[in-house]
Amino acid sequence: MPVRRFLAFALLTVLLAIACAPPSSAPSPSGAATASAAATPQRGGTLVVAAGADPGHFNPAITTAGGTHFVADNLYNGLVFLDEKLEPKPDLAQSWTVSDGGRTYTFKLRQNVKWHDGTAFSSADVKFSFEQVLLKYHARTKAGLEAVLAGIDTPDPSTVVMRFTQPYGPLLQRLDVVEAPIVAKHIYEGKDPTTAEANLKPVGTGPFKLAAYTKGDVVRMTRNPDYFKPGLPYLDELVFKIIPQAATQVAALERGEVDYLSGVPGPDLARLRQSDKYTITKSGAGSGGSFCITTLIFNLERPNVNKAEVRQAFAHAIDRNKMLAEIQFGQGKVATAAISSAIGWAHNPSVQQYPLDTAKANALLDQAGLAKGADGMRFKVTFVHATGFAKYGELMKADLAKVGVDLQLAALEVNAANQRVFIKRDFDLGFASYCNGPDPEIGVRRMYVSSNIGPVLFSNGAAYRNPKVDESFDKAVAAVEKSDRAKAYFEIQDQVAKDLPYLGLIETEGYRAWQKSFRDLYYWSGNLAEAASRQ
Amino acid sequence: MVFAILVIAFLLVHLAPGDPVTIFAGESGDARYYAEMRRKFGLDRPLLEQFVVYLGNLARGDLGFSYAHRQSALEVVADRIPATLLLMVTALVLSTAGGIAAALVGARHADRPADHAVTILTLLGGALPAFWLGQMLVLAFAVTLGWFPVQGMASVRTPPDGLGHAADIAHHLVLPAVTLGLLQLALVARLARSGLRDAMHEDYARTAAAKGLAAARIVSRHALPNVLLPVVTVVGGHIGTLLTGAVLTEIIFAWPGVGRLLYDATLARDYPLLLAIFLMAAVSVVVANLVTDLTYARLDPRVRLR
Repeated sequence: MPVRRFLAFALLTVLLAIACAPPSSAPSPSGAATASAAATPQRGGTLVVAAGADPGHFNPAITTAGGTHFVADNLYNGLVFLDEKLEPKPDLAQSWTVSDGGRTYTFKLRQNVKWHDGTAFSSADVKFSFEQVLLKYHARTKAGLEAVLAGIDTPDPSTVVMRFTQPYGPLLQRLDVVEAPIVAKHIYEGKDPTTAEANLKPVGTGPFKLAAYTKGDVVRMTRNPDYFKPGLPYLDELVFKIIPQAATQVAALERGEVDYLSGVPGPDLARLRQSDKYTITKSGAGSGGSFCITTLIFNLERPNVNKAEVRQAFAHAIDRNKMLAEIQFGQGKVATAAISSAIGWAHNPSVQQYPLDTAKANALLDQAGLAKGADGMRFKVTFVHATGFAKYGELMKADLAKVGVDLQLAALEVNAANQRVFIKRDFDLGFASYCNGPDPEIGVRRMYVSSNIGPVLFSNGAAYRNPKVDESFDKAVAAVEKSDRAKAYFEIQDQVAKDLPYLGLIETEGYRAWQKSFRDLYYWSGNLAEAASRQ
Repeated sequence: MVFAILVIAFLLVHLAPGDPVTIFAGESGDARYYAEMRRKFGLDRPLLEQFVVYLGNLARGDLGFSYAHRQSALEVVADRIPATLLLMVTALVLSTAGGIAAALVGARHADRPADHAVTILTLLGGALPAFWLGQMLVLAFAVTLGWFPVQGMASVRTPPDGLGHAADIAHHLVLPAVTLGLLQLALVARLARSGLRDAMHEDYARTAAAKGLAAARIVSRHALPNVLLPVVTVVGGHIGTLLTGAVLTEIIFAWPGVGRLLYDATLARDYPLLLAIFLMAAVSVVVANLVTDLTYARLDPRVRLR
């Protein structure tokens, strides 16, 4: 027995010794020479990207799930590419013309595009993608286009004509790889796109091809040598390492295990900034989930909060600068209007403001006929929010207590909270991070139009009804000239700043970080590494 | 037993607030889209009917289709089992061997500094929550000292082949296995230590001492086999605890196992996948109990299989 025990311990010791030894091929990714920052990008190399969630599958056309898009978009293209300023640039479409007063869009497709399996890409793929996949299963594209799209014609293999029932201004912003990835007709035709095997063996047109996928662990992509943009991509390999914890992601970046983070938690940001090894940038523009405003939702169907004075009093009582400092670590800014200041052309800088003013808040509540009781409290309201936003609840509870409002905190798991606010509509105050997206039509309209009240996540949770606002949104979408669209959006923002169905709290800002040894990352786009290279 | 667990699990996952359709559709779908998807996955049916359909499929070995992975739930779980098994078995071996070793040290040096050190360490080990311990180990041994990788099961850059690959995995395994095993190690150590101390005062131990046997031999030949019995019970009975611990550990270390799958499936309300994981966990706990009983029969001459 002692001999056997000794052997067991000896084995364990040896195992530990092996385990402790550094791996034979320890890479030093951050040690690249920064001095010789060449003008021409270098070829080759591997970019390792930290992904917070497993993609699950690789069909971005059947979902708006961020985890799937972040990875799978690199295998596909949209008709257009949105640049850093969200201006549409050619992608699968080489050029386009708008005619018939904004009702008809004609796209000329590139000629030399091949799917990853060698089949030629054509206009039939575009028509198929919209009609059979995107308009059925891509929630945002379906919600935005289904009602206004009259039909898609393909007069020849390299021409696509989209016809609308009314002038439709924001179309081009909806056609990038995140909002409308184009999938292959010959792969998906006759199959159910939600269960097709091709979702795990994707065939795209994008700069990278899928090489290997270990669930929950790693996704490896290799360079597409036949990519239709000459010379691109520069990298040999694009690897996604799935790391759910933000803190672990940061540690992995610092150890050089990964090269790119799509988000840096506030407390880690300052530390990373002290090092000269990383490029750190604001997330900036982007499609889908960008330009987000953490928002307090007033349920206008509930007593007390259905009074405008009460909502304005809340706005005066809540210290949003403190939220910015203590919750967001100063990342972002206090929201001033319904449309994010990041969408410069549509943001109205001069709407009614509600600075912190406890006396005024008290006066407004008195005016609303809600006198303080013997205990100094006026009334109770229930605040339903996800546990991830609990700090907002705590700060609000303290602020509102000062004006005699008893805020009851109901912190639930995020899906349960969304369910209770948007589907069951059982709340006085709710909370959501509403993202504006690349165009107010995509992310702002849904919050305010009366046709969008009802059991859908991130819809018009306040149940706000104002025919004037509905009309202005219709005007904004039908106008083709940007200045006319902006005018309609300015009117909307003026009106809702007075009615205050929502109180925008913080325009949150995310940060990306990557090893300085890489350059030209399209961090705002679905095609992150199309032109990325080592330097 | 497993059936009862399945019924309860089915009810629990369906009664929990949240709706898989709204989650996998993403934001701003419309009501018609939700209804369509609900019909597609049979979620518009009454709960009882869904359960009957589920049982019928289960009888044919069909565990359903994962909403989030768009793939058979069984395949999704099976893919992730090896990683969790490796982590759990390592943690189990580490904690059992380490716990007994610590207990031996403690018993040999009863009431002396070494014994007190073991007591304090096991107390700490039993009290530290895995999510904190894991992060601290990462900060100390991975980020600051650079001895171990921060996360994952293997290097993603130029993965080595063959033996090098095994060494690479072992290297990645150390911190998560310690995180997962430490609580267990503390339990085993405390149990075995007190057992050994009691056993040393038993008649048979005193007789052995009177025969002139060395203390070390009394402990290893006479006392330890008796003490192992409750240890086996504890180790076997804690497979469930280890599975639970694996969820946290796998999240912290980005370990691609079933624990993390369970977490993701819960967030996504991926009912078929959740049930498949519960089923697997229930079966493995039942099997672990069976193995414990069999081990008992082998260790204790009073217990015999008929």
